[in-house]
Amino acid sequence: MERASAPQPSDLSSMTGSGGGGASKYLANLPSRGLFSSTVISSNPGGIRVYICEHETSPPEEQLIETNQTNILIRSLTLKKQKSDSSSKDVKGKATTESTKGKRAAERAIDGRTSAKRMHVTSSSGNPQQEGTSTRTIGKDFQGLTVERLRALLKERGLSVKGKKDELIARLKSSRVDGELPVRVTEEFLDA
Amino acid sequence: MSIWNYVVTAHKPTNVTHSCVGNFTSPQELNLIIAKCTRIEIHLLTPLGLQPMLDVPIYGRIATLELFRPHGEVQDFLFIATERYKFCVLQWDTESSELITRAMGDVSDRIGRPTDNGQIGIIDPDCRLIGLHLYDGLFKVIPFDNKGQLKEAFNIRLEELQVLDIKFLYGCSKPTIVVLYQDNKDARHVKTYEVALKDKDFVEGPWSQNNLDNGAGLLIPVPMPLGGVIIIGEETIVYCSASVFKAIPTKPSITRAYGRVDADGSRYLLSDHAGLLHLLVITHERERVTGLKIELLGETSIASTISYLDNAFVYVGSSYGDSQLIKLNLQPDAKGSYVEVLERYVNLGPIVDFCVVDLERQGQGQVVTCSGAYKDGSLRIVRNGIGINEQASVELQGIKGMWSLRSSTDDPYDTFLVVSFISETRILAMNTDDELEETEIEGFYSQAQTLFCHDAVHNQLVQITANSVRLVSSTSRELLHEWTAPSGFSVNVATANATQVLLATGGGHLVYLEIGDGTLTQVKYTQLEYEISCLDINPIGENPNHSQLAAVGMWTDISVRIYSLPGLDLVTKEHLGGEIIPRSVLLCAFEGVSYLLCALGDGHLFNFLLNLNTGELTDRKKVSLGTQPITLRTFSSKSTTHVFAASDRPTVIYSSNKKLLYSNVNLKEVSHMCPFNSAAFPDSLAIAKEGELTIGTIDDIQKLHIRSIPLGEHARRICHQEQTRTFGICSMKYSQSSSEESEMHFVRLLDDQTFEFISMYPLDTYECGCSILSCSFADDSNVYYCVGTAYVIPDENEPSKGRILVFIVEDGKLQLIAEKETKGAVYSLNSFNGKLLAAINQKIQLYKWMLRDDGSRELQSECGHHGHILALFVQSRGDFIVVGDLMKSISLLIYKHEEGAIEERARDYNANWMSTVEILDDDIYLGAENNFNLFTVRKNSEGTTDEERGRLEVVGEFHLGEFINRFRHGSLVMRLPDSDVGQIPTVIFGTVNGVIGVIASLPHEQYVFLEKLQSNLVKVIKGVGGLSHEQWRSFYNEKRTADAKNFLDGDLIESFLDLTRGRMDEISKSMGVSVEELCKRVEELTRLH
Repeated sequence: MERASAPQPSDLSSMTGSGGGGASKYLANLPSRGLFSSTVISSNPGGIRVYICEHETSPPEEQLIETNQTNILIRSLTLKKQKSDSSSKDVKGKATTESTKGKRAAERAIDGRTSAKRMHVTSSSGNPQQEGTSTRTIGKDFQGLTVERLRALLKERGLSVKGKKDELIARLKSSRVDGELPVRVTEEFLDA
Repeated sequence: MSIWNYVVTAHKPTNVTHSCVGNFTSPQELNLIIAKCTRIEIHLLTPLGLQPMLDVPIYGRIATLELFRPHGEVQDFLFIATERYKFCVLQWDTESSELITRAMGDVSDRIGRPTDNGQIGIIDPDCRLIGLHLYDGLFKVIPFDNKGQLKEAFNIRLEELQVLDIKFLYGCSKPTIVVLYQDNKDARHVKTYEVALKDKDFVEGPWSQNNLDNGAGLLIPVPMPLGGVIIIGEETIVYCSASVFKAIPTKPSITRAYGRVDADGSRYLLSDHAGLLHLLVITHERERVTGLKIELLGETSIASTISYLDNAFVYVGSSYGDSQLIKLNLQPDAKGSYVEVLERYVNLGPIVDFCVVDLERQGQGQVVTCSGAYKDGSLRIVRNGIGINEQASVELQGIKGMWSLRSSTDDPYDTFLVVSFISETRILAMNTDDELEETEIEGFYSQAQTLFCHDAVHNQLVQITANSVRLVSSTSRELLHEWTAPSGFSVNVATANATQVLLATGGGHLVYLEIGDGTLTQVKYTQLEYEISCLDINPIGENPNHSQLAAVGMWTDISVRIYSLPGLDLVTKEHLGGEIIPRSVLLCAFEGVSYLLCALGDGHLFNFLLNLNTGELTDRKKVSLGTQPITLRTFSSKSTTHVFAASDRPTVIYSSNKKLLYSNVNLKEVSHMCPFNSAAFPDSLAIAKEGELTIGTIDDIQKLHIRSIPLGEHARRICHQEQTRTFGICSMKYSQSSSEESEMHFVRLLDDQTFEFISMYPLDTYECGCSILSCSFADDSNVYYCVGTAYVIPDENEPSKGRILVFIVEDGKLQLIAEKETKGAVYSLNSFNGKLLAAINQKIQLYKWMLRDDGSRELQSECGHHGHILALFVQSRGDFIVVGDLMKSISLLIYKHEEGAIEERARDYNANWMSTVEILDDDIYLGAENNFNLFTVRKNSEGTTDEERGRLEVVGEFHLGEFINRFRHGSLVMRLPDSDVGQIPTVIFGTVNGVIGVIASLPHEQYVFLEKLQSNLVKVIKGVGGLSHEQWRSFYNEKRTADAKNFLDGDLIESFLDLTRGRMDEISKSMGVSVEELCKRVEELTRLH
């Protein structure tokens, strides 16, 4: 790769000359707080004092910071679970706000939801009662999405994108029951 | 055995890696904080400039340094993360002037691949979280709660694996990072993410920008109201925000550092790889960015960090050259530069190579380093002790004493120099031609030795001889008054100041006189029980002409005493112990603290703290300065008082931060010294040595002296040739012609006194010098420079061709005598049994120096040894060869004369990536490796099986935290054969950060003692930020961590001397050794460097 050289110091005058006025106009009004106002620039003949720390330096007990050791995947699943446990309204609200943020945001929102679903699947064996809540949440969720988005989701799942909105939702819901999605989600996590 | 080693820093790191400005030490004070790898320096910005405040050692290599202000705080906190994954938050406690640890922690993860492009640590501008990028694919978040306290950290998965930079954006409702990364097609993009603290995950951010400059490497977040980010590339600069995209082309350059000028972020300083400083301006109409402008300002050192200070002053921190304080001028100078360099802060880093020489042939080593890189390359001559710049000298034998006198009391300058001999006194004076000329003071008695002279009040002079005290007018030079010793008595020792005279005659008689206008009055007389050996009445109280106390040294009971004046009442008596009499006492004050110094006949010196009111002596300390009697004298340099101790090892005693320091003077032996501040030679000293009287000025009072020889090119190897008094260097020059950037390599010859280039040999295209050696061969009396080279062809992974060039120096010119082509890079050359031992790629090769039939010479290969990955470093001793391999640690080879073959004897089976090796003694070899560790291995000659004998046993391990490029045997200090430290073998090392250090192999007894002291010190001296000393010094690489063994941290041990008295007592108690003894033993160690 050919690369032109950086200017040599001797080029400086020519450069600024051609620039017309050069940097002067940009160097005006440099910030000043009254420091370095005198021309005397002190140097330090005696050297700088070396700090010897004789006092206790352990931080306050609760400020000894450690990293949360939970696996990122497990943590995110747990968090989603907590969220889906909380009121469904919140989720809906979030979904709508996110839907304004373009395609990637929507995808992400769905990823989030799908992982929530997966979590739900894993937990369903232990707590069958939850299923109802969860399904309802998701059903409502889909209702909140536009047809376009639903079609995008279907396309992603390799399903037909034809039909009315309710049909689309029904198709999406059925695809979830198939259990195809959770597998996909895991794969995604593995890829990452 | 050299198993027990003591590692100490002689020159601290000077490579500036980070800097930042903020209100750290108080809400009103503005500070510049500089990181120099393992230390931080706190400076205060004042109207008068930068004022250094504190130098703080950190137990870690600083990876990131940031100032930030949590909510509700009035001053900034300092966030430091170290390369070994520790972090801490420091706060300055204004009341106690201490650094308080607000938080600390370990941010390492058990799994994860460390990032290739260095660790990133950033703090959200709204202080909601700290972000760390330490491992590929992970972003660590340490959130703040609303009280500014840190909470548990967590990792977020970051999709981008090849991250180049991450910054927080300003003015975002949620903390938002912008990531500059490279994809697997080597294209570079930026992307933004919001950090969702609740979900502990990223949310896609407001914008992204694909396909940027291929060289984009730096992000500059722009504060509100503009917001957004500037992306600095090699050929373009881009401003990017959610709504605006502006780009301008630039001349190709690699920007290394930036500094924000305005708080609103409309101007930035950028520095590139050639050290050119640019101003980047964001033009904007209100809050809308309309464009970018870039202007060249001038040239500085190649910057690693830039901090705008105030009022157009800028701090430029550099890793490759000296750091600088610069001023930006509104108008360009004649060369068109807006940059004015006001101060340079010496930086030795990176020390690529160095050699130890004794240029002045005084028996004291000097280190000449290849420092700096690229255009900032230089040679640095580092010398311990204080130099005297000789200005005039006369031959004078047998000087017994010297004093300078003024011609009138008000005269600021000295006129006369009184020189005393065994049976006469001569007076020298400056004549009108500023020459020293013999003169006369009529009132003085010149037919006898003068014991003491001094200026006195009322334009008078005092001369004391064995028989009398004479008071002489300094204007008329006539005798005004005389006090004569009683018959049968002669004055042995005497002292005086402007108004007082104290003298002692044989038999312990002490006489006190006072000087009036034209009169000498005997005020008091007393007889002491023993003979008096020395006296002093140097006024250190409030009255500069009159002393309340007299110090007296005694024979027989070997004591030093304080008497009150004028009463001559005994105030304090201190027995010195031992059998050596005090030869010189001195009352003096440094930095407002009064001391009594007392020097013995065997070169030892006691110092005491002196209470001026009570005369009490405390804090007794003893140090050894030399082996001969010491004469103490005060002098002034740069309006500060110091003490000169004349002896076989002249020393200047001075005080820094209320601690007495001893710095040796680079003179062989000084019998007497007196200050001689004449108009022609201001601030000079008159020094009597070896039949010579010298007038000279003294260098700055500090321990190490560094002289810089800028080369304008990058010196990579150096060696000295004693016989021709020259240095040979291999250097590399970057030339940037109009179309191409090219590098040229040279072998250069320098004069060892003037350091001028005297001869040069250009190497071929692509050829670079890898090693240089001065040596001679068997059957040939000439000395040669041998240079090993490599052809670094751009397409080759490993050089496949190189040369060994043999030069002779004739008439100051390098003459090529022989050359030998090799099948690889000649990484190392050693003189070996009159032959030449070369390390060529994976092979060790031995060459004979053969005489051809035509009388010319050639190198002929004799034998070799394969079996290394890359044999980079080779040392030899006798028939043994120690090889440091690129990644296979240390191995030991042996040359067998009978068979003419080189065989492997033993090796260390650890996988250490070596950076240099050295042989400590027959059995112990020292190595440094690229994880900043030091280790020693031992040859196992007594092993019972071949397998045991074939293994080099690791006996010592230590984490130095510095990348060592070279070891050399030698010493920075004068070695007195009969002093305690004179017997300790030392190795000097030089590092990338500009550290010069010393590794001393201690006797076992001393090691055990110091190890105990170190373990006691660790309990008292805490690591700043709660970082642990034990962890810091533990051997550490990717595979394992092990406690340090058989190495001592000299920096920690020597900080014992800086402890408060109470802490010293504490340690003394638990050690069961007196404080005095501890101080003495530690001070001895400080004399190793």
